[in-house]
Amino acid sequence: MVKTKNLTKYYDDPRGGTVRALDGIDFEARPGEIFGLLGPNGAGKTTTLRILSTLLRPSGGRAVVAGFDCLRQPAQVRRNIGFMSVNTAVYDRMTAWEMVEYFGLLYGWTREQLRPRMEHLFDRLKMNEIRDVPGGRMSTGMKQKVSIARALVHDPPVLIFDEPTSGLDVLVARNLLQTIRELRDQGKCIIFSTHIMREVEKLCDRVAILCRGRILTQGTPDELRRHFGEDDLEEIFFRLITEAELVRNGDGREQGERPHSHRRRGETEGTVEAPGAAPNPRTKEMRKS
Amino acid sequence: MTGRNVRIIFEREIRDQLRDRRTLMMVAVLPVLLYPLMGLSFFQISQVMRPKPSRILVLGAQELGDPPLFEEGRFAAHLFRNPEEARQLELEFYTPEKAAALGIAPEKADDDPAVAETVLRTRAFDAVLLFPPQFARRLETFREEVRRAIERLRLERSAEGEGPSGEPPLLGGAVALIVPEIPNPQIFYSTANERSTEAFRRLNDVLMQWREHVGAANLSAGGLPPQAAKPFRVLESDVAEDSGFRGAALWSKIMPILLVVWALTGAFYPAVDLCAGEKERGTLETLLSSPAERVEVVLGKLGAVMVFSMATAVLNLISMGLTGWLALGHLPMFAPPPWSVLWLIPALIPTSAVFSSLALGIAAFARSTKEGQYYLLPLLFLTLPLVGLPVARGLELTLGTSLVPITGLVLLLKALIEGEAAQAWPFVFPVAAVTLGGCYYAIRWAVLQFNNEQVLFRDADRFDLRLWLRRLFRERRDVPSPALAAACGLLILFVRFGLTHVFARWQIQADLIRLAVITQLAVIVAPVLLMTLLFARSVTRTWQLHTPSWRGMAGAILLAFLLQPAATLLQQTVTRLYPLDPLLREYLLGMTGELSNPWPIFLAFALLPAVCEETAFRGFILTGLRQGVSSRNAVVFSAILFGLSHTILQQSITAFAAGLVLGTIALVTRSLWPCIAFHAVHNSLTLGTGMLAAVLTQDWGRYESMRPGVTAIVRRLGSFSEDGFAYHPAVTVLSLLAAGWVLLWMYAPSHLRAPGDSDTEPPLEDEDE
Repeated sequence: MVKTKNLTKYYDDPRGGTVRALDGIDFEARPGEIFGLLGPNGAGKTTTLRILSTLLRPSGGRAVVAGFDCLRQPAQVRRNIGFMSVNTAVYDRMTAWEMVEYFGLLYGWTREQLRPRMEHLFDRLKMNEIRDVPGGRMSTGMKQKVSIARALVHDPPVLIFDEPTSGLDVLVARNLLQTIRELRDQGKCIIFSTHIMREVEKLCDRVAILCRGRILTQGTPDELRRHFGEDDLEEIFFRLITEAELVRNGDGREQGERPHSHRRRGETEGTVEAPGAAPNPRTKEMRKS
Repeated sequence: MTGRNVRIIFEREIRDQLRDRRTLMMVAVLPVLLYPLMGLSFFQISQVMRPKPSRILVLGAQELGDPPLFEEGRFAAHLFRNPEEARQLELEFYTPEKAAALGIAPEKADDDPAVAETVLRTRAFDAVLLFPPQFARRLETFREEVRRAIERLRLERSAEGEGPSGEPPLLGGAVALIVPEIPNPQIFYSTANERSTEAFRRLNDVLMQWREHVGAANLSAGGLPPQAAKPFRVLESDVAEDSGFRGAALWSKIMPILLVVWALTGAFYPAVDLCAGEKERGTLETLLSSPAERVEVVLGKLGAVMVFSMATAVLNLISMGLTGWLALGHLPMFAPPPWSVLWLIPALIPTSAVFSSLALGIAAFARSTKEGQYYLLPLLFLTLPLVGLPVARGLELTLGTSLVPITGLVLLLKALIEGEAAQAWPFVFPVAAVTLGGCYYAIRWAVLQFNNEQVLFRDADRFDLRLWLRRLFRERRDVPSPALAAACGLLILFVRFGLTHVFARWQIQADLIRLAVITQLAVIVAPVLLMTLLFARSVTRTWQLHTPSWRGMAGAILLAFLLQPAATLLQQTVTRLYPLDPLLREYLLGMTGELSNPWPIFLAFALLPAVCEETAFRGFILTGLRQGVSSRNAVVFSAILFGLSHTILQQSITAFAAGLVLGTIALVTRSLWPCIAFHAVHNSLTLGTGMLAAVLTQDWGRYESMRPGVTAIVRRLGSFSEDGFAYHPAVTVLSLLAAGWVLLWMYAPSHLRAPGDSDTEPPLEDEDE
């Protein structure tokens, strides 16, 4: 449902040179699955998600969402996704109902179609008390609910969440994660970025670890545990990151280790390559799928 | 793009703004309260602000006789149109006793001008009126003389008796009239002081009136009717009185300006809020990830901004109009013309459209509301001259002026309010075209900003001048970047501006040739050389110094000849639309009149500019611009800069056209040399034909007899008029067609490519599975 191939993104650094925000990102997420993007700040998670939601254009490579190419068919892509990020705020002077309705209208639904859908949504998310509360007077939790409702109003098959629990208190975050789990059970394809390990452990079916615009490794949590011989995902995470940094600083050139598993379509288990093999993602092998 | 999404976004934005208390205050409440309050306070202040009477010190007025100038210590009331005005002049008559108090030496009082200066400087008086010592006496003597002279004439006439036809005989001999030299009264005042100037004006009026009375008295003394000096009166009749357009002159100036100012201000704050504000509050990302396309978002927001712009303008104008009508309506000169003001309503839509789209473009570019609001003042500074100039200098609505953005609109409104709808009607079309064109480009730019990732998602970067400059130098590529190209263009304009004023200030008089050479070297060559050396690695590629094909060179030279008739036509059209100042015209004509030694002129005005300006505009600037925008746009922008670098408007327009042609040649031949060739040949031809025309029009007859063959050919090509030589329309059209064919012939088979393209980032990979 969501697939990227050698996705790259460059910026001009105001201090000189170019910044490689993304340097060859490959992954795939399927319906009924929560795919997590894990990494430190500046790893490229937000950039990847913005490209997937057509807010940014890739410099190279390809991204396909729900069968539509992000660069060439952005409008179709947007119709099929629900996007939520730290920056997707709510309008101060719009009530919850108005806001969700506004976006529903933009997604092409009529008011008559929207009404039953929104009733259902507000019920499920327990938002009926805040129907007429304007955004400026909502608490963070309420705003979060409105954002989710807004992202779900048109029942998209793909959902993209960029650090959705950032700034939320524990209870609200927990509720949110529960909702995401329910959405996955409904068969939605969910891409989810975070830098909190616990969320990964509790939620993600598969995860990719990013650092400096590259995927260091990806697979299910179990796979990663087996591969790295380590039970604690957090340890795996830190080890990979530190190694990547060392290699970079040591050579003066960027050279992350690139052991990763690549799940091809139709296979249930990915093949895990030994560390140090450093297969080049640009080889033709990958194009077989 | 669907209208549905535009409408949804538009409705939401309007609803949102209407819920914003601050916006409502600014748009609705403020104008409704502001003008009545202003009117009220104006009324209050005017009570306090009565015109103060002027204090005059009068010296030497002791012996003034008939007709009386003074009456009860003031000027005589009958000397004023309104007797009350006599009170505005408070007089103090000098007597020797007061000398000490005034600080004057008594013996000097009567005839020393320095005394008056001293008195004025103490500011005790606003003006000093001095009657020289002999004034009254000499006036008397003069009157006596006049009386006696007329008496003598009468006696002579009666002595000689009547002639044969019963008419009085002709007077013989001149009558000697001894006119004593009358010393003139003098008013001392100071223009540095407003009250003093006012005092002078009043004094002058009174004394002029008195002079007429004295003249009349002189005539009466001799037994002549006083009307001899004033045989008739001039009547005045104000046509505006009947048609109700009394206040039109004033209001036709004020209202368009206010309309523009309020439309702009009313558009700006909502625009900033809707664009930059959304960025800040984080709701922009949400909107952009919805199916609404960027164009739809821009148009929806534009609609909302326009509504507020129009509402602001309308409410302000109504409120002001009502206040003006109520407060000033009783002053017949200031009453606003009632119905013609309704012209403002249809004018509202294009005005607010153009300012809303401008404001939206700027707001879309700004990265925060703070930054956005800073842009309002520069925008006002740019707009106000365009608005104020036509009103202040009394520009006329002509085809030329109607093509100027915003100015044309204001002039049109002014004409409509003054009741000249019938004459102004045809100008609606050019004004509409220019205004709508402006809107279109502004909207396009706004959409561009909404598509620009750097504008949407980048936060304000910290700026370090040293690092930035070092980076510019270190990371310089073979060819300059678009920003550097634009900067070079601006630098040229600055230096040109500065140099013009330096010359004017220090009145550097050099002969024309030297002036031209200095200008070229300082204004064009210096900046370009500097920037090329600093910021580009490859001079050849930057200046496009590649060897051209012979086709390119030959074609360029041919084009210069073929486009000459069209260029002449353009120049004459421009001069018709925007007539040259007569002095300037003389100056320019004089320049081409020298035929004695033409070679320095050709070097200075044809060859040198060709080399310098081409290197700059088709070399550095065009190459740089092409790294960032499409080739076509690069040609247009470089032509605009080229045009602007000429100080005279008429030259700027023709230079712009030439710039377009030159840019195209640069693109087609991929080399600078054909451009230099074209430029040099074109300038030489223009100069040459100008010189020839100047000579031939004077000496046409002689020339015709000398070279009948040549003149026959010249006659075929065109005709002379006071504008110079004009080619026949057929010649112009044919040569244009030929030029087009030559251009196609020059077009190289491979598609146009900017040399130096390889410096861009890796292109988008196109992987098809």
